[in-house]
Amino acid sequence: MIPEGMPSAEAAPVRRGGSLRGAGPRRSSDFLEAAGFTDMPLAESAAGPTMRPGSLRGSARGRDLDSLAHTLFLRIYPVIAVVVLVTQIGIAWVNYSDQIRLYTERAKLLAALTASAVARPDWSTRPEIYRHQVQALTLDPAFRAVVLRNAAGAVVMSLGDMPRGRSWDMVVEQADLSLPSETKPVGHLTLAISAEALRGNAEKQAILALVTSLILMLAFVLTLHANVRAHVLAPLKRLLLAMREVEHKNWVTVESGARFRASNEIDVISQAFNRMVEGLRTGDEAKRLLQELETAHAKLAEANGLVMESIGYARRIQSSVLPDRAALVSTGLEVGVLWEPLHVVGGDYFWLENIDGLGIIVVADCTGHGVPGAFLTLIVATALDRILHERRLRDPVEVLRALDSMVRVQLRQDGRGAVSDDGLDCGICIWDRQTATLRFAGAGLSLTSVTDGTVTRIRGAKNGLGYPRRAGEIFAVDEIVVQTSAETTFYLMTDGITDQMGGERRRLLGHRGVADILMARSHDGLGDQVAALQQALADYRGSEARRDDMTLVAFRPIPQSLPA
Amino acid sequence: MDTISLPATERSPRIDFDFGRGHLALRGESYPEDAAAFYGPLLQALRGYLAEAATDPIVFEVGLAYFNSSSAKALMNLFMPLEDAAAEGRPVTIRWFYADGDETIAEAGEDFAADFSHARFEMVEEFA
Repeated sequence: MIPEGMPSAEAAPVRRGGSLRGAGPRRSSDFLEAAGFTDMPLAESAAGPTMRPGSLRGSARGRDLDSLAHTLFLRIYPVIAVVVLVTQIGIAWVNYSDQIRLYTERAKLLAALTASAVARPDWSTRPEIYRHQVQALTLDPAFRAVVLRNAAGAVVMSLGDMPRGRSWDMVVEQADLSLPSETKPVGHLTLAISAEALRGNAEKQAILALVTSLILMLAFVLTLHANVRAHVLAPLKRLLLAMREVEHKNWVTVESGARFRASNEIDVISQAFNRMVEGLRTGDEAKRLLQELETAHAKLAEANGLVMESIGYARRIQSSVLPDRAALVSTGLEVGVLWEPLHVVGGDYFWLENIDGLGIIVVADCTGHGVPGAFLTLIVATALDRILHERRLRDPVEVLRALDSMVRVQLRQDGRGAVSDDGLDCGICIWDRQTATLRFAGAGLSLTSVTDGTVTRIRGAKNGLGYPRRAGEIFAVDEIVVQTSAETTFYLMTDGITDQMGGERRRLLGHRGVADILMARSHDGLGDQVAALQQALADYRGSEARRDDMTLVAFRPIPQSLPA
Repeated sequence: MDTISLPATERSPRIDFDFGRGHLALRGESYPEDAAAFYGPLLQALRGYLAEAATDPIVFEVGLAYFNSSSAKALMNLFMPLEDAAAEGRPVTIRWFYADGDETIAEAGEDFAADFSHARFEMVEEFA
């Protein structure tokens, strides 16, 4: 009944991995196991990211895997079997009844014909008259027996063996011998014909029906099996294997066998699955990238932390090189300082010192900012120390000239092919309390003074110090001597102060802008002025970032210190 | 080497050096972390172009809203070979653009202008 390779329910004790009740939700691998897919070789799927249709067929063939198929067969098969069998038996039975009826009628006719031939008043005494007639009945191959009885029931003639009782093999019919003159029959004829051939026919027909139904069922089973495998199980298997891969974050998709058919539920499911995998893959990719980004960010933060720690340390060193803000009080100057590197440390530098009663004020803006700028400030600090203390120069132009040559020697900018293209803008003021005069010399830096609402800007030389020079180029600048009063405040500032990008028109603030801010506060203490300036600059910038280091040194004679 | 085109960044200007037309332009802001690294290749290209000893006129347009002192130095380095070329007879025009009322940039332009005696240096005030 069951074709080979299709075991019956008893022969295939499928282990139910998790029943619907009590075992919790099934994982897809459980389902795979339950469905008999556990032996699927993974190598097939490892061959490529996409499960090709038919790639699993070979491994699935000939295995008692398909419990879904079995369930279908076991449910449908008995119904089909019973229906076919009953139909066939019904047909056979109808045929058989028809045949029996025909036989009976034939027997009736034969009996009636013979009886009418025999019937005459003296028939029982003259058997020779109808003997041939009766014997002719034996020519019928189905003939078994005939008995003629007279009215009293005595046997007049008998041919063959009349069976006793009812027999399924025989059709027995009786006819009366009647005469028109007599009201009662004058005798009876009983004819028995064999129905054996009929039964043989019926048996043959029954066997035929059985065989037919078997063949029919076999064909049905095989067709169903093949189709379920090809159109349901194989795609489902691909889908399940792909799901198992996806469970392990291996983003395989499934291809529907031939072309996509929107009417095919499995194709639709496969497509939906592929879309889901695509979505998951994208999500997973994003998650992974985010994770990588977070890792990279953490590393960067750590690296940045180290660098900032190191630069913080550098700031301590740079700050320690800067002079005391109150160094010039003893020379009769009030001083306010704004020193704000762009990046913790910077290339701006200032020098305040009382040497032999002279107030020395230097502001320098070295190229670059941050660490490179800070390196240069150390060179400048060392050079200034030597210039002022070893060489004891007190003339501002001489100081600048000496600083220029020392920086260029330090940075080896004298020879050809100098690596360094660095230098500095520098302004120096030497304040003499005795004469109340200020001697100024600048290189790329100017001296700004504010007196009673007027601003004066004394520009130094256009070029800075340092930098490789063209042949024959020498640093030249003139000294400017300014007579001071208690009403005049002087400012030395780097371009980081004036080059503030911002404002409504997004312009540089410029010297004029800075001077306006300072003028508005000209009667304040210099400390307050500097703080106010810093705030005003921040307000001007708004959302714009600062571009450079900022240094401003403001100073003015303390009235009591000026000569009377 | 016919053209050099670089888009502007937050810290560096847009560069349009069209050597074929003798038209060089530099627009935006300039305060790169390493000015020498940014301007070095431009200077090389300019020198190479001037070494060809053609006599086509050159126009160099500079419109910077802000530049730091390293960039000023780099600009000077770009201007010097142009001035040298002008001294040798090549028509060179520098156009210095500054926004109206921007004294800082105007003043910087005037400072640069003082270094030119052969090349033509034009100050162009731009109104927004």
